[in-house]
Amino acid sequence: MLRIDDLHVSYGGTRAVAGVSLNVDQGQTVLLIGANGAGKSSLINAVIGLVKMRHGKIIFDGRDIGNLSSDARARLGIGYSPEGRRVFASMSVKDNVLAGAVTLNGRQQAQSWDRLVASFPFLAERQAQAAGELSGGQQQLVAIARAMSGGPKLLLLDEPFLGLAPVWIQQISIAVRQMQNDGITVLMTEQMARPALKLAHSGHIMRSGLIRRSGSVHEIKGAALAEEYL
Amino acid sequence: MESFIATGLIGISLGTQYTLLALGFTLIFGILGVVNFAHGGFYVMGGYVAYYCNVILGLPYPVAVLMAMLSMAALGWLFEAFILERVIEDHQATLMVTMGFYLVMATAILMIFGAESPQFPFPVTGVWRLGGIYFPYANMIVLGACLAAIVFVYWLVYRTNIGRGMRAMSEDLPVASALGMRTKALFPFAFALATGLAGGTGALVTPILALAPHVGDSVLAFSFLTVILGGLGSVTGATCAAFIVGLIEAYAAVYLGGSKGALTLFALVLIILVVRPQGLLGREVRRS
Ligand SMILES: Nc1ncnc2c1ncn2[C@@H]1O[C@H](COP(=O)(O)OP(=O)(O)OP(=O)(O)O)[C@@H](O)[C@H]1O
Ligand SMILES: [Mg+2]
Repeated sequence: MLRIDDLHVSYGGTRAVAGVSLNVDQGQTVLLIGANGAGKSSLINAVIGLVKMRHGKIIFDGRDIGNLSSDARARLGIGYSPEGRRVFASMSVKDNVLAGAVTLNGRQQAQSWDRLVASFPFLAERQAQAAGELSGGQQQLVAIARAMSGGPKLLLLDEPFLGLAPVWIQQISIAVRQMQNDGITVLMTEQMARPALKLAHSGHIMRSGLIRRSGSVHEIKGAALAEEYL
Repeated sequence: MESFIATGLIGISLGTQYTLLALGFTLIFGILGVVNFAHGGFYVMGGYVAYYCNVILGLPYPVAVLMAMLSMAALGWLFEAFILERVIEDHQATLMVTMGFYLVMATAILMIFGAESPQFPFPVTGVWRLGGIYFPYANMIVLGACLAAIVFVYWLVYRTNIGRGMRAMSEDLPVASALGMRTKALFPFAFALATGLAGGTGALVTPILALAPHVGDSVLAFSFLTVILGGLGSVTGATCAAFIVGLIEAYAAVYLGGSKGALTLFALVLIILVVRPQGLLGREVRRS
C-alpha cells in the first residue's frame, strides 16, 4: 500500500529524517514510536506532502507520489489526522468532518456522515457546535472522523493520543479498531507506546531521524517501552 | 422622525454596498492571506464596464451589471492565477503587486474614458414616499440587488462544498490542502468571486453615487476600514461592521454635517481597535 524508500527531510540545517525506508502493507497498522524530535511528524508530513523531502521515494498504491501536491495525494485516498488535532476551530463539527470528504458528492457525503455517526454518536449530538469549543479528546475524534470521511485507503495518524485522558485514549483506540475492521491501512506515530502497541501489527522505533529497530509488536515491545522513558 | 427613518434607509443601503465590498476583501484576506489593494479598482472598472455597455452600447442596464460582474470576475481570476499566484508566499510582494495592478487599472480607465466623470444616470427615476419618508426607486433597486447578492454569498460560503473548502482554507491552509482542498483552483475562484462582487457593486452604485477614475481610492479605504473593524478574515464581522459603518456615515452626514461623517467613523474605529485590537469578531491570532 505504502512504500517509503530512503527518505530524507531537512529544515534548513536540521536533519529531521535521515534515510528511512519502510513498508506498510494493505490492511496493516504500522506504528512509529519515538521520543520528541525523533522525526515522526516529518515523515508523516512528507508522505502527505506538507513538507518537501530532500531525497527518497514515496510509493502509494503502486504510484510514485513524491512530486504531487498534498491535495492530489489526499485525493488518491490518503486520510490525514495532524499532530495536535488542528480542527477548524470556528467551523461546526459536521463541517469539520465533511471537510475531509472533498471527493464525494452530496449523497455520498450524507452516507459517509451517517456511517460515522453510527460509530461515534457524539458527532451527531455536537454536529452544530464549533469544533474549537470541544474538549481535546472530542477534537481528536473529530480530526479522525475528518480524516476518514472521504473513505481513504491509507490513514495517517500523527500522535492521536497526545495529551489525552485515559478515557479518551480508549475512545480513540476503539475508533482505530473500527478502521482496521473496515480494512483501512494505518500508519500512526506515538510517543506513548503502551496504548499504541495494543493497536498495531508491527512497528518501528525512530530516533534522530533514523529507524533503530523494526519488527512485530511483540518483538519491539520491550525496546519501545524503554524508548518511552528516554 | 421621518428624516430619521429616511436616513436609516440610506444607512442600510450603504451598509449593503459596503458588505459586498468588505465580504470580498475579507475572503481574499482570509483565504489567500493577501490584502487586495486593487479592490477599489475592480469597483471602478465595474462601473465603467456597466457605463460602456449601458450608455455607449445601449444594452439594457441589468445586462450591463451582469457584464460588469462577469468581466471583473474574469479579470480577477486571470490576475490571481497568472500574477498574484507567483508571489503569493511573499507578503511584501503581494502588496506591491496588488497596488501596482490598481495603478494599471486606474491609468487604463483614464486613458480610455478620460478624467472627467461620464454621464451614467440610473435608468429608473422617481421617488417612493410614505408619509414624510422619501426613498428613491433607484436606491431601492440597488438595495434589493445588494441584499440578493449578500444572500448568495452567504449561501455559497455556508451551504456549499466550495464554501466549506474556502472556510477551511482560511482557518488552516496546510491542513485543508492535506485533506484534498485544491488551493490551485480555490485561490483564483475566491479572488474572482471577490472581484466580481466588487465589479457588480460598482455597476450598481456608481450611477447613484459617482463614477470617476479615482473613486476606487475611497472604496479601498472603506473596505479596509470595515474589514479591520469587523476583524480581518471574518465574514460575519465584515457584514456587521459594514452596516455599522453605513449607518454612522448616513446619520453623521445628516446630523453632524458632511465631512464629520468620516471623522466620526475613524474616531469610532480607533476606539474599538484600542479596546479590541482583533476587531469586533476577529480571531485572536492568525496563522503567519
Ligand atoms: N518546521 C520546522 N522547522 C525547523 N525544524 C523543524 C521543523 N519541524 C521539525 N523540526 C525539527 O526536526 C526534527 C524532527 O521533528 P519532528 O517534528 O519530525 O519530530 P517528532 O518525532 O514528530 O517529535 P514530537 O514527538 O515532538 O512530535 C526536530 O529536531 C525538530 O526540531
Ligand atoms: Mg510529531
